[in-house]
Amino acid sequence: MIDPNLFQLICFYAFGVVTVGAALAVITLKNSVHAVLALVLTFFSTACIWLLAEAEFLAIALIVVYVGAVMVLFLFVVMMLDIKQEQVREGFIRYLPVGIVVALVMLVEMLALIGVRAMQAIPMGANPAAAAGMSNTAWLGTALYTQYLLPFEIAALILTVGVVAAVALTLRQRADRRHESASQQVRVNARDRVRIVKMAAEQPARTTAQPQQPGDQEAKP
Amino acid sequence: MITLSHFIVLGAVLFCIAVAGLFINRKNVIVLLMAIELMLLAVNMNFVAFSRFLGDVSGQVFVFFILTVAAAESAIGLAILVLLFRNRSTINIAEIDSMKG
Amino acid sequence: MGEQILNQLVWPIIYILCIAVPLILAVAMFVYWERKVIGWMHVRMGPNKIGPLGLLQAFADVVKLLIKEVILPSSANRFLYYLAPLLALVPAFAAWAVIPFGERMVLSNANAGVLYLLAMTSLGVYGIILAGWASNSRYALLGAMRSAAQVISYELAMGLCLVCVLVLAGSLNLTDIVHAQAGGKGFLDWFWLPLLPVFVIYFISGVAETNRAPFDVAEGESEIVAGFHVEYSGSAFAIFFLAEYANMILVSFLASVLFLGGWLSPFQGWITADVSPWVNWIWTGGFIWLFIKAFLFAFMFLWFRASFPRYRYDQIMRLGWKVFIPIAIAWVLVAGCMKYFGWVSIGTGV
Repeated sequence: MIDPNLFQLICFYAFGVVTVGAALAVITLKNSVHAVLALVLTFFSTACIWLLAEAEFLAIALIVVYVGAVMVLFLFVVMMLDIKQEQVREGFIRYLPVGIVVALVMLVEMLALIGVRAMQAIPMGANPAAAAGMSNTAWLGTALYTQYLLPFEIAALILTVGVVAAVALTLRQRADRRHESASQQVRVNARDRVRIVKMAAEQPARTTAQPQQPGDQEAKP
Repeated sequence: MITLSHFIVLGAVLFCIAVAGLFINRKNVIVLLMAIELMLLAVNMNFVAFSRFLGDVSGQVFVFFILTVAAAESAIGLAILVLLFRNRSTINIAEIDSMKG
Repeated sequence: MGEQILNQLVWPIIYILCIAVPLILAVAMFVYWERKVIGWMHVRMGPNKIGPLGLLQAFADVVKLLIKEVILPSSANRFLYYLAPLLALVPAFAAWAVIPFGERMVLSNANAGVLYLLAMTSLGVYGIILAGWASNSRYALLGAMRSAAQVISYELAMGLCLVCVLVLAGSLNLTDIVHAQAGGKGFLDWFWLPLLPVFVIYFISGVAETNRAPFDVAEGESEIVAGFHVEYSGSAFAIFFLAEYANMILVSFLASVLFLGGWLSPFQGWITADVSPWVNWIWTGGFIWLFIKAFLFAFMFLWFRASFPRYRYDQIMRLGWKVFIPIAIAWVLVAGCMKYFGWVSIGTGV
């Protein structure tokens, strides 16, 4: 059977190739919807790579937050906006060489800085969370709620500001909008809508023929 | 055997792809926003890797905060984008030049 | 070597089939049951022609759908059009991996099981959005937009309900969550009692999340024809159908596991007699109890559909954002107090 370490490495390369390929697709695809989906794939395979690093909470949080919410928002916006494809694509060919050159130079510089060979010597040790005797989630949560409590609260504040800002930016009061107050609708009473009037039964006019009751007919035979 | 360099090189590659994306999609704000998300992802990759290899929880806590801030950022960014499209009916950056002196 | 392959490859595949095949059959029977129940509630017969009591109706429908042509609308996006049903189906099935059916009867006893479930349910929305967009149809796009906004909104409420459960159970593992509900008082120990408002919110959010009546504005037969899958036919439509019903059954199982003690018996601790393995499950618990509970929830889906008129779209949004989310947030605090001051007894497992 395959050695678990080798298996991990194969998984890493498989997910890594998908990640890089999807990332390339994000920046090159013509159709914005396709690009968003490629980004979703990038996030997904990155989450798998994080699982290999045993950061399970963050991996799944990445999927829940990014794939489940942020990218849906992106998709929403891309679909709602009627974007002319040719217009936003102009300059693609012109800037392509510059982009490639800059990216490659940066990559070479970074790799030189990282010193791949030096880092190669550092193998993956024991899972620090398991060494501390808890799951990754508990490990992260313990740090988050003790050592990093203030930053955590600030992060919550930032999210609140984000919500308020997004609503405040996009909310528009249109004059022709027909608005109904939901609470008023909920509180509506049948009594306010319909008035039931009691009145004495009226005799039908004598001259017209009595309509035959359908029940009578069935009862006869 | 996965080593630290595997993760960091992958992060570097992702970051460079994002930079290239910023260069070649200069007109489309949506792709620009996505390239920024990609950059943040590359950074997060490094944080996760270092946290794992150094056995320090701070890296993962940082990723948590980056995720939070990035989510807020993209929500506001998209809100601005929608507003922009509503007012100018374009998302081409070259046409958004009314501040030019 | 051979044994390793058996353990790492063959057995997991057999386990997966043991969940997936009965699930597909359950969906078929659930469709039949739905038509029958709604028929009875409408004082009709329901399907009664094919097979004894109409039992084979669902299979006849499947055969009919499979031999129909899948029509690709003109200027639809071919790739995404065919991808969308699969994107709807995969999360609906993948989520079953962490559902515990009984003591040690779980495919993957993942530590972050609840998170995994959240991730999987949030993926389901892609199938719907892409189906709506790729069909190149106004109705479909409208349905997709409605559904996306609705699913995201109700996911928040659902997530907050899960947080309450997590606070009490102190674990993200679904088996541990069931164990935390065990105790000497039977069904009074389950989480539905301390978390009653959250339990109600969770199930209603589940109905909304699966786009079922009365929250089925994404389909909305009378206004936007059939919403996101209006252009789909044949087997592609069948896959959407399968995903929707698999999701309904999933929500039913989840509600049972999270709030009604999973496979635990409601009479646990009341009787301690040892009669026979055939009868003991009634008070010691077993997967049959889980199925009974899930069946009750699944029945409520149908009951809702037969009873309630469809919500208006803005009413759905209001219910989610202005009613459910505030209540759920408040109850997170209450659950925290319950845990901190020890107002509820938390089981520790067997």
